[in-house]
Amino acid sequence: MMRPPTRAFRLLAFEALHDGVRRRIVPVIVAISVISLLAIDNCTGCASSSITVNGEAVDVGAAAGWGGALMFVVLGLWTMVLAGVLASDHLAQPLADGTAALILARPVGRSAYALARLAGSLVISLATGALLLSATALLLHARAGVPLGPAVWGLAACALGALCVGAFATIASLVLPQIATTLLVLVAVAWIASVNLLTQFGATLEGFHGAVDRFGPPLASALVLALSPWIESVDVKGAPIAVGLRLVVWAGIGVALLVVGFRRIELGR
Amino acid sequence: MLALELLAVSKRYGARRALAGVDLAVPAGSALGLLGPNGAGKTTTLRLLLGFARADEGSVRLRGLEPSEPASRIGVGYLPERLALPGRMTVRGCLRLHGALAGLENDEIDGEVAAVLRQTGIADRAEDRIAGLSKGLAQRVGFAQAFLARPDLLLLDEPTSGLDPIGVRDARDWIATARESGCTVLVSSHVLSEVERTCDRVAIMHEGRIAASGAIHELVRPGEDLEAAFVRVVRG
Repeated sequence: MMRPPTRAFRLLAFEALHDGVRRRIVPVIVAISVISLLAIDNCTGCASSSITVNGEAVDVGAAAGWGGALMFVVLGLWTMVLAGVLASDHLAQPLADGTAALILARPVGRSAYALARLAGSLVISLATGALLLSATALLLHARAGVPLGPAVWGLAACALGALCVGAFATIASLVLPQIATTLLVLVAVAWIASVNLLTQFGATLEGFHGAVDRFGPPLASALVLALSPWIESVDVKGAPIAVGLRLVVWAGIGVALLVVGFRRIELGR
Repeated sequence: MLALELLAVSKRYGARRALAGVDLAVPAGSALGLLGPNGAGKTTTLRLLLGFARADEGSVRLRGLEPSEPASRIGVGYLPERLALPGRMTVRGCLRLHGALAGLENDEIDGEVAAVLRQTGIADRAEDRIAGLSKGLAQRVGFAQAFLARPDLLLLDEPTSGLDPIGVRDARDWIATARESGCTVLVSSHVLSEVERTCDRVAIMHEGRIAASGAIHELVRPGEDLEAAFVRVVRG
């Protein structure tokens, strides 16, 4: 009897998550997350104090908003990089070692398998991101009264960015070795984030860099625009809804390309 | 009714021709041994049947469906030549997963898993991690997952590789039992005696073609055994 594909997806995603948490990189992620949490606690600790510079009181709320936004964007981009790094062999590895063949000899669709592997790797990066970003937002809210609404949008932007990076990294991993995929993820996220941030804070980019900023996945732009209420003193460029939709479209393109690409490849000889 | 069918199938890997106009039909309930020297195209044939690769030309049907359709693999048990099982899982955990993916209901899985564990003689190793099993025991796990959910079509690629003589005899019995229950069997093997004992028909592949096929008694001439017939066909 043919089972609904959701059942296969659920089972395989659970197994993919199991595979993911046993990877050697996971203890490193946990250690970095703990250090990040301590840093977040430290950085937000001064938010409730009063600061005076040259005899003039500094608006601590605004400073906390700036600092918080910076922390949020850095941690959000780290989450996206993590999604790409974890996805860089989560589908390719079982294809290489042959365990995928036994699964795909069952009445399991290739789409379900590819998406389950992606989901399994994403859960780890998204859980890490949710922990770090929520801690940042909650501490800023408790200590400096920074509003929580933008953080919710920021979390959504981060999740979409991670999905986008994870999907493209998985596609790349089908044709590139893991190390090349990992390097590609690092370079691509850093490059896209750089052009996004330069443009948002007033630079005018032309040519290819400008095109990447205007039409590429707005990984950093979406984060900054979501958090713009925290940095009201700066005129952040870009329309939040349009940028958000562009990120949704890029995440959709990534997932669709993964599904189509994985259906077309031949499993190892 | 045909359990599987290849019509004029060709397949290349780059410049190398793996299959060249292969015609093969296996009626439901029969057992076919796919014989051939290394590189003859046996494993490629199985890969095409399971949808792992696409034919460049010709048509492949598994249970009347395109192999790319997941529904074509319902009721199919497969044992690959290079068995790769997830080492982190226990034997039972792996079989439970495969049972669920094969379409067993949740309340059927434990019973089915227990049955194949008993059948393949590994019930006492059910809680062992697969990574700690010997090659022979892992091959038994491979058989166990292939027998899950009572398949009506078994595709076995070099099924006795890694098994000791007792395991080989057991495997022969398991295949015979599956045949008695009406299961169609396709065995790809180098071991002619194994095919002779488990199959009623053979197809001998050579350089990507079916060089000869038919019932064993039709292929073997008076005074020959299957090995002699095989050598005669392959060497021309």
